[in-house]
Order: sequence, then C-alpha cells, then structure tokens
Amino acid sequence: MNKLRRYFIVLIPFAFLYGCIQTNILDKVGLTTLVGYDVGTEHKMATTAVIREVNPEFQSKVEVLTTENDTSKGNRMEANRKLSKKIMVGQMRVVLFGEDLAKDDLRYYIDTNLENASVNNGIYMAVVEGKTAPLLKYEYKNIEDIGQHIFRLIEQNVKQEYMISATLHQIAHDYYSVGKDLAMPIIKRDGELVELSGVALFKGGKMVSSLSARDSFYVRIVRDTFKVGLYEAVLEKEDVSSQILQKSTNKITIAFDAIHSKREMKLVNAATPEFDLDINIRSRVLEVYPDINLGDPKSVKILEKAIEKKMSKEIVRIIAHSQEVESDIFGFGEKYRSVVRHSNLTKDKWHEMYKNMKVNVKVKFVILRDGVFE
Amino acid sequence: MKNPIQLSPKDMINAYLLFFVVHGAQVGVGIQGFQRVIYQDARQDAWISVLLAGIASHIVTFCMIKTLEIYGSNDLYGIQQDIFGKWIGNLLNALYILYCFIAFFSILRNYIEVIQVWLFPSIGTWFLSATLLIIVIYAFTGGLRVIVGVSFFSIVLSLWIFPMLSFPLKYSVAESLLPILENDVRSILKGAHSMTFTIIGFEILNIIYPFVKDKKNVRKPVHLGLLFTTFIYLSVMMVSITYYSEGKLLKTIWATLTLFSFISFPFIERFEFVAVCFWMLIIIPNMCLYLWAAYRGAIRLVNIRGTTFVWLFSFFVFICTIIVQTRIQINAINTVFGHIAFYVIFVYPILLWILAILKKNFTSKKVHKNEQT
Repeated sequence: MNKLRRYFIVLIPFAFLYGCIQTNILDKVGLTTLVGYDVGTEHKMATTAVIREVNPEFQSKVEVLTTENDTSKGNRMEANRKLSKKIMVGQMRVVLFGEDLAKDDLRYYIDTNLENASVNNGIYMAVVEGKTAPLLKYEYKNIEDIGQHIFRLIEQNVKQEYMISATLHQIAHDYYSVGKDLAMPIIKRDGELVELSGVALFKGGKMVSSLSARDSFYVRIVRDTFKVGLYEAVLEKEDVSSQILQKSTNKITIAFDAIHSKREMKLVNAATPEFDLDINIRSRVLEVYPDINLGDPKSVKILEKAIEKKMSKEIVRIIAHSQEVESDIFGFGEKYRSVVRHSNLTKDKWHEMYKNMKVNVKVKFVILRDGVFE
Repeated sequence: MKNPIQLSPKDMINAYLLFFVVHGAQVGVGIQGFQRVIYQDARQDAWISVLLAGIASHIVTFCMIKTLEIYGSNDLYGIQQDIFGKWIGNLLNALYILYCFIAFFSILRNYIEVIQVWLFPSIGTWFLSATLLIIVIYAFTGGLRVIVGVSFFSIVLSLWIFPMLSFPLKYSVAESLLPILENDVRSILKGAHSMTFTIIGFEILNIIYPFVKDKKNVRKPVHLGLLFTTFIYLSVMMVSITYYSEGKLLKTIWATLTLFSFISFPFIERFEFVAVCFWMLIIIPNMCLYLWAAYRGAIRLVNIRGTTFVWLFSFFVFICTIIVQTRIQINAINTVFGHIAFYVIFVYPILLWILAILKKNFTSKKVHKNEQT
C-alpha cells in the first residue's frame, strides 16, 4: 500500500502541471468566425477576417480586418499585430473565396485548411461574386455579426436542402477524387442583405462557370438523394397536354415540397461513355395555378407527365452545360471508375471523356398528395 | 523440458480474461492512421488486406498455442532456451526483449506525436513522455493482475467510441469500394503486410500463457479477441474508404481521428479532441503488456528486481523519446519496426512450432531408446 502511495504522490504533481499549459481564455482571444480570401495586389494573398471579441462587461464586438501577405499564417500574424486579443481559428465556420481567386486555383487554400488540426472539417465554403472584402466590410443596417450571419444563412439553406452543401470535407473529397468535381454556393450582397445567388462549377481547382440559384435544385437531385426542400416550376404550354390546360392561360405554375428523390446512375456503354440516369421523385403539391382538379386520377397523371418532361429538360440542359465547361460535379466519373475495371482513370483523362459523354435522363415523378383543401 | 514456470494460483488469471488481454494489446496507436499505409498498396481493396491480415493472425496464434501446449507451463523465453540451448536461446531472448522495447517506444512516441499535433503543439515531448511513463510504471508495479485489469477497463470503457463511426457514414459513398478485386493479389498481400504494425500485440500470449489458470480453455477467448480486433479494423477501414476519396485518404495521416473531427455535439464541438485524450486509456494496456513481457525475459537473463528493471527500462525509453523528434524519424521507425515485427510475429512462431515438434519427437525417441536399453 505504501508503495502505491509513493507513486501516487509522483503522479499528482504531473496532473496539476497540466494546468500550466498554454490556455485560451474566452475573454482574451479573438474568435475568427469567417475568413475571406482574395487575390492580393502586392502579395499573394489578401485575407479578410471577421473576428469576434467577447467582452465580459460589454456587448461583444465584431472586427473585420483585411491584411495582405504571402501565407494565411502571415495574415494571421499581421491581424494579431492589429488587435489586443490573440486570434484563434478553432471557431471558424465559413471560408469565402473571391471570384478572381476561385477562377485561379483553390488547391492551396483547401490544403492549408485541411492541414490545420484546429480547423473543423465541417466548415462551409462559398464563392463571393466579386471580392470578399467589400461584402464583409459593408456596414449592414440589420446585421450585427456578418460572420455569424453568413454561417446561419448557408447552414439553414443547406439543412433545408435549398442549396448544395459544400463543407470542407465534401470539397476535399470531390477535389481529391478522380471522377468528381467540386461545386460551391455563390453569395453576393443584395442591398442590405446577403444572398445566395447561385452555384459555382469547378474544373479541378478552378472555377469555370456558374449556375443560377434556381438550378441548384436540379444539381442537388442529380448529385445525391434529396429529402426535403421546396421547388417551384413553370410548365410551358408545349409540355402540358391540352386536356388539363385551360384556354385562357398558356402556362401552369406549380410548387411542391417534401420531396423525396432517388437517383440511379447506370453505365450502359463504357466506350462512349453513355449513362442512364433514372431519377425517382415523390412529393407533395403545394400550389397549382391555374387550378387543376387533383382529385381526378387522370389529370394527376397528366400533370405528373408534364412535370417529368419539364424536369428532364432542365436536367439535360444543366448536364450539357457542365459538359461544355468540363466540370463533372455530379460524379459520373466516380460511377465510371467504380464499374470499369482497370480504367486507370485520372482527372484529366475523365475531363476529356466527360465532354463526349452521353446521358439518357429519365425522370419519374409521383404526386403523393396535396394540401388540406382541394 | 526444462525450467517450467511454477506459480501460485493467486498470481494466475482466468482464461476468459485473455480476450481482453489479446484485444487490448492489439488495438493501440496503429488504428489511428493505418488506412493510408494499406490504401497505398491495395487501393479500394484495402479491406481485403485487413481481412487477410486478420486471418493470418488467427493462423499464427493457432501455431503459438500448439507450441505452448507442447511445453505445458512455459513461456517463449523458456522455450527458446530449451530448443536453442543456453547461449543462442539467451541471445534470442535478449533480442525479444529489444523487440518489446522498440514496440513500447514506438507506441509511446506515436501517441505523443498525435497529442502534439492535435492538442498541444507547444508541450514538450519529455513532459508527455515522463507522465505516461509514470502511469505505466504505476500500473506495472501492481503486478500482472493489475495490468490485466487495466486491459479489461481500457476495452470496456472505450467501447463507446466504436458507434461513433456511424456519424461519418452519412457522407459515405458505397461506390468507393467498387470494383472489388481490381488490384492484383500482390498488391493486396503487400497491403496485408503493411497491416503488421497495427495488428501485432497478440504475441503477448507467448509470455502470459503460463499465468493462465485453466489452460485448456485458452483457445476460445484468444481467437474471439482476435476476431473482435479484425472486426473493428475492418469496419474502420470500410468506413474510411467510403468516407474519403482516394486522393484524400492518401493524404490524411491519422484518418481515424480525422473521421472523428466531423462529429460534433451540442455540448462538445470537436469530438476528436476527446478521442485523442481518451486514446491514452487505449494505449496504456499496450505499453504495460510490452513492459511486462520485457521484464519476464529480463529475469531469465539476469537477476534483477522488478522495480529496478522498470525504472531502467523507462529511463532508456525516455531518452529515446527525447532523441527522436521529427515526423520523418518517427515514420522511419514505424516502417522498420513493422518489417521486423512481421518476421518476429508472423514467420518466427511457425518456425518455432516446427522446431518444437522436431525436438519433441527427437527427445521422446531418445527417451524411448534409453528405456529399451
């Protein structure tokens, strides 16, 4: 027993000594909640950081700092020189990239964030139309903490599946896989608000094109399975058969939510390559204008057919667009790699093949129910 | 058959505890980042490599138990002395002690590296090393039964980490596993070979065997322990392959910990920080068992007291942890140690078994002859 006590006495000081480690007390650190990268004028990298300083007595204050240096750590040091508090990145939630930078190459920025153990893999990334600095520095009337605001904005849109999700993990996953390219939301300032305005398509680490925010719905259903969300569509006259279309109008607007979608990709011909893309969607209709009798199975069938036609048209358009810019954000290449043995696929090789890829889109749409009032 | 070990029942352990000993000795620092090494060779078939390595561990263990059964109540050191004679046997014993030393050192140094990278970059290696060593010494002085107890608690208390693997599943793509068996047999076997560093530990059976009360029932718990380890490695590997894309997995050094970095709860935002700290509990039985194995060998060579030995051993380990500082050095040691361990653990026991059988037949014939004449 005595012997054990002796060891215990040695152990205890060590346990206490761990208290002497470098501490990061909340009042004494500045929490970086958002970082925006731009192309610098003189140096390589211009960084705009939104730093939240917590004060125990007063309301916490938000500082937006722009610095220019060659590395992101250099920028952190420079920001440190300008603030009374130590800057930490553990609470970082969003990383933004200026459009020019995104069009150049993002590889370096993805890697630095992956390398740093204190950066969470779940942070969101997005591209800013124009430069990040003016977006962050603008004095919004109703937004107190721009960092938190943008984070919440992206988070809620992703959670409700209105926007594609682009966390650091997903971006790095797509960037480092041979058969898939990454995509990010685009945000911009709209008056006194910040808005998600579209989807950026990348080829490797370079942004090559963008799609509108409305198209992000189609991107989502082709990219993965889809669970909730809301969508509205305009059915043109040529899509709808004349039976349910009233004479006075020449289009039907329709909105649906509670969408369950499932996509299935099948490689039918490895040489071209040619894919079958089957998409199954079940959803609830919220709004139809002009009124259509949804109690009648026949007109429901016709409406479903019309939506299917409309959707496959849109999907074909989006895929064709992505092929034009050689950005496979849907992961057709992953499918190709997983099916074709010994393909020795590389990203460049796939981009070449992707241009000539053929896709047969087939959409199946089922209206499960409508609201409480017919 | 000379120097069998005589023990009083109060020093012995029940056979079923071997499940915890074997499993506790296997799972350690290797699992934190073994995916990358295997993936380099076997690509999406890496899980097959893991499976093969698991099967190999079962085969080797089978041979080990066979060898030990020939001798009744003796450990590896005694067997080596018996088969190879005093001089060569003792040389091999010394080498085995050295092997335990390197294994111990490599576990400790790898864990310290993880702490320094993930949690406290500014903390000194010597400080972490000294703290961990004192805990291990503390457990060691309690004797074998305490060490076995530590293994038991280490497993029971860390079981909850395993279900955490289901969180990354949300982002998993099963297609990453396809096409199955695209890589040739050679690269899959090479991947299995790279598993050595991660899967070793079950060789502790060679040393602990005489301490088991009911030796007849050894087989079941040991093989179950191995099976459980293989199952855990396999699931970690599957989740990693599907969660990461090929390029990303090759660049992630501690893939298991990075898997956890995605998980966050309302009350704890960065789960991997908890995991890294909690890992101490997982590696302590590892280190204790290697230390104890080295001690069992040392008392066969020289007359040394337990306390003296443990302080000496720790002192050398401590010096080594201070000397080896950079990642490159650590990686080099891991690779070299993995290669050595492959021969020590996967080749040598089978050889030893054959030699033991030959020797047994030879001596029994001789005895038979002596009786006849």
